[in-house]
Formats: sequence, C-alpha cells, structure tokens
Amino acid sequence: MNNRFRHKQMPGEYEMVSSLTEFLVAGGYRVRHEVPNMGQSVDLVATRGRFLTFVEAKLRDWRRALNQCRAHKLVADYICIAIASHEVSESLLVEARQFGYGVIHFNRETHIYQWVNEPIRNGDVWKAQRKQLTRALRAIDYAN
Amino acid sequence: MTFSTFSEQRFFAYPNKHSIKGVVVNANMVAYAPDGLAVFLMERTANPTYIIDPQTHAFQHDPAAIRNKEGEVKSSIHSLSQHLGEPVASCVIDERPLRPADFTDDAILKDFVGRCLTFQRTALSVAMAQCDANKYIAQTQQQLEPYALLSPYFYLTERSAPEWLPVCLRLAQAAADAKNHNKLYVPLVLNKAALVNTAIRSAIAARFKNINCDGFTIWIDDLNEHESSSTLLTAFRNLALQLRANGARDVLNLHGGYFSILAGSALGNNAFSGVAHGPEFGEFRSVVPVGGGIPIARYYVPQLHTRIRYREAADMFRRKGWLKTAAAFHENVCSCEICKSVIDGDPGNFVKFGASNAKLVKRGRGYVRMDFPTTQTKENCLCHYLERKHLEYAASAAGDAQLIADLDKGIADFEGTFGSEAVEHLYTWKRVFRPTPEADLGI
Repeated sequence: MNNRFRHKQMPGEYEMVSSLTEFLVAGGYRVRHEVPNMGQSVDLVATRGRFLTFVEAKLRDWRRALNQCRAHKLVADYICIAIASHEVSESLLVEARQFGYGVIHFNRETHIYQWVNEPIRNGDVWKAQRKQLTRALRAIDYAN
Repeated sequence: MTFSTFSEQRFFAYPNKHSIKGVVVNANMVAYAPDGLAVFLMERTANPTYIIDPQTHAFQHDPAAIRNKEGEVKSSIHSLSQHLGEPVASCVIDERPLRPADFTDDAILKDFVGRCLTFQRTALSVAMAQCDANKYIAQTQQQLEPYALLSPYFYLTERSAPEWLPVCLRLAQAAADAKNHNKLYVPLVLNKAALVNTAIRSAIAARFKNINCDGFTIWIDDLNEHESSSTLLTAFRNLALQLRANGARDVLNLHGGYFSILAGSALGNNAFSGVAHGPEFGEFRSVVPVGGGIPIARYYVPQLHTRIRYREAADMFRRKGWLKTAAAFHENVCSCEICKSVIDGDPGNFVKFGASNAKLVKRGRGYVRMDFPTTQTKENCLCHYLERKHLEYAASAAGDAQLIADLDKGIADFEGTFGSEAVEHLYTWKRVFRPTPEADLGI
C-alpha cells in the first residue's frame, strides 16, 4: 500500500478529501463521501471486495478523529485516520497501533500521501449494525 | 412530567395511566393553545393534576431570547405578556428587559401578581370545564383549577440576587395574600454560583420561611446531575431540605433526574417531594433557552441512570458481551416491556433503538448527510425511558442499603471495562448521600 500522489499546495479539508479519494482509488478502492453512521458522518468509506475501510480525514486534530473512530468498530473492517499535520505525532501512532487503526499522512513538504501505519482487520464487527450500514450505503453514490 | 409538544401527549399515559402524578405546563403554551391543552389534560391523563409555570423570568433576559428569527416576539410569549399586563407588556413593546425597578410601585406589583394568579386559575380550568370529557363528570371550574398556583418569579444569579431577591420576596408575599382557596408554590430559579453561595442560600431559606405558602418549585440553571460536583449537589439537597421544613412544605424539582429521585427518597431525607422532567429530556435545562441541534437517538442505560448516544450504548453492550443473546441483554441491560418487545428474542434487534434515515443538512458551503432517528426509533427510546423512570420512582421506596447497592452495581458493571469516567456520577451521588469523612479519603 505505498501509493504516492503529488499535490501542489497544502489542502483545505474539502481538497484533502478529494485528494484522498484519488489516493484510495489508485489503491483499488471505490470511495463514498460523508456516509452517515449511527448519528455520525464518516468522511470516507472505501470499498474493496467485501471489505469496508472507514477513513476520518483531519487537517490536524487527530484526537478528535480517534474519538470518531471508536463507534466505527461496530461496522468497519478497517479503520484509518488521514492526517495533514506537519508530521505524524508519535502519540497518534501509538494510539492507532493500540486500536489497530491505519494512519495515512499527507506530507506538507513533499505533498505526498503515504501509508504510515497499515490498519489491522477489525474482528469486532457487529453483524446487525453492519446490515443497517449496508442498507444505507446502497443509497449513496460512489464519488469516483 | 413537563408538557412539551402536542405530538408527545400520548406518552403522558405510558407505561400506564397512573405513572405520572401531574403535568407541568408552561404559561406561554397555555396562553397560546388553552383549548388544546384543556382537551389533553381532560382526555389524555388519568387525573388532570397540573400546575402552570408562569414563566415570568422570560421577560428579564435579553429581549432577543423571546423573539423569533424574523425579530418578532414569539406568538406564545406575546399572548402571555397580554395576560400578565404591566410592567411586562411595556417591556415587550419597548424591546427592553424587565428590571427590578419596574416593581418599585407596590400597586403595580400587586396588580401584576393578581393577573398572574388569575391567569393560572382560569386559563385552563374554564376550557376544561367546557370539554366534552367533562360533560358526564361535570366537575366545576374551581375543581379543575391547578393543583397549586405559582407566584411570579425571576432568575437569581450570584450577581443579581441582591437586586432581584427582594422583588421575588415581595411577589411571593403578594401572591400569598391573593391566593384565596388555592395552594401556593413559590418558584426559585437560581444559577449554580448562587446555589453554592452560602450567604445567598441562607438568605433564601430564611426569608421565604415566613411566606404563607404550601411549597416551592426549584430550577437550577443547566444543572446536569451527571456532571455536577458533590459540592454543588450537596448544596442543592441542603437548600431543598431547608425549604422542606421537615416535610411541612412541598419542594418540587422542575428539572431533575435519578439523583433528584434519590434525594426525594428516604436516602436523601425526602429533600424533594416531587421531581419533574420532560418526556425523555428535560432532566436539566438552561434558563435562557439554547438551540436544540440535530436530534440523536439515545438509550437510557438503567445501571448508569443516564441516556447515552445509541452508538455508545451499542459499543458498551457489545464489549461487555451483552448483545450475544437476548437472555444476556435482558439479564444485564434491561428487561422492561418495551425492551422485551423490541429485542423479541434477537439481540440484533437492539439496532431498533438507533435506526435512522439519512438527510442532507447544510454545513458551511456544502451539504453533509446526517442521520436522523426514525419515528419508531424515537418512540422505542422514549417508551424505554418512561418504563425505566416508572421503575426508578417505584424502586426509590426501597431501603437505603438497596439504593446504595444499586449504585455500587452500576459502578461494578461498568468501571472495569470503561474506566472511572463512565461511573464518576455514581460515585459523586454516593458521596452526597453517604459523605466520606475527610480522614478516609486517603489523600
């Protein structure tokens, strides 16, 4: 998963999500934006085969992303945080590894997206809630 | 229970017609829709015991708080101001807040109190007496008057109490002189700083002691029992105990949750004679209303005595293994009638407490899809909440040891898995009712 994409300048949140979409599509995913899930809205849900990867994109507030990811454990096969901070905080990496979350970093200097930490398959998916999500996903078009 | 909207009126007879001892109705709603409320009280409740909160404090805040987005005075508030007359009516017209100086003249104050009490006596009782439902029982208008009248009142903060407290006292005194055959409750609305201020608390207890009233209603601005310190909750209970005068007077907490239920039990020395809340919400409320935000499904967790977001409840129960079988769910979470009916043998049906539909909501420059609970979801959560509240009130008659054991069970069930934050409020409540000597704190 070492895809690289080049960009010209530091993105805003909207641009970051668009670029992330390109990055994930290049990795073989189909991507949906703003997917509602149990009262939250997930920034990106990427589908590859039968697996769902949830991605929360943040320009810098990764702690907020960690909180948002908590409920995703009920439904997502993989959970990731995409962060556009100057550098990836060691604390983020420690916590992400602890929970099995992936980390995707947008490097402000090189304008390159890359996987810093790959997610671990979540074994706690609750089938009943996943069914609800699958139903909701059918009503949302792919962004790519 | 506090009346909120007509769409929720059928829940005032849930789980059974006798679950709710009385209804609190806001005066602005009474002024706006007296006939509808009269029918509701006569036909949808087992006995039409009600009080009308005169909401006079609404006129002392920033006038923007009583206006709609178009800048016009809200219809219900405008109707109320017409009933209350001077000095309120002028303030509304002049777009200025009511000030203590507006009540300097005793004649104006007494007339204002008279109109406020007459409004409460007649606004609903006249319409109720004329209801079809009254045709055969033929109760007189006087029989259909509120359970008690509430004197006009204003919000006291730590800063404003020296100015407003004397006005509130004069209003209460004038109401006591004009109450006639009715019971009279004196409302006390304070902010948290005023509540913990010993001088203000003592002044309130001492000065209202001699008013000829039957009780008090209390509303502490935005007092969330689940997030409050033991100092604040102890001050709250102590004020209620002082006002109760060993049970000689009623003290009704207008916005309270399980802590207030406990405070009203023998464990809390019966500090409250009653606790009110809305259907599912309203266990705490800001004096100056704030926007409601996007509705979200919340499940009342019986062991924690709190409503939490559905996704957090599902996460908690899943991690505890309580969603493995229906039996595990009912044994560990809830076996109320609504939960039995919704779960229906399949723990996966817990999703019915969180089912939602996505809608597009404007955010900044664009739109985002947000989940909105379905009507059925809202009903499931609300009915479960009302079932649990009914059980909590009944269980509060149990002995002190059992009530403390119930708090301990909540702590034991959740602390080990979710950390002390999840059960902090249970520890706090315990400390209020069973204070730990400083020497035992181990600090």
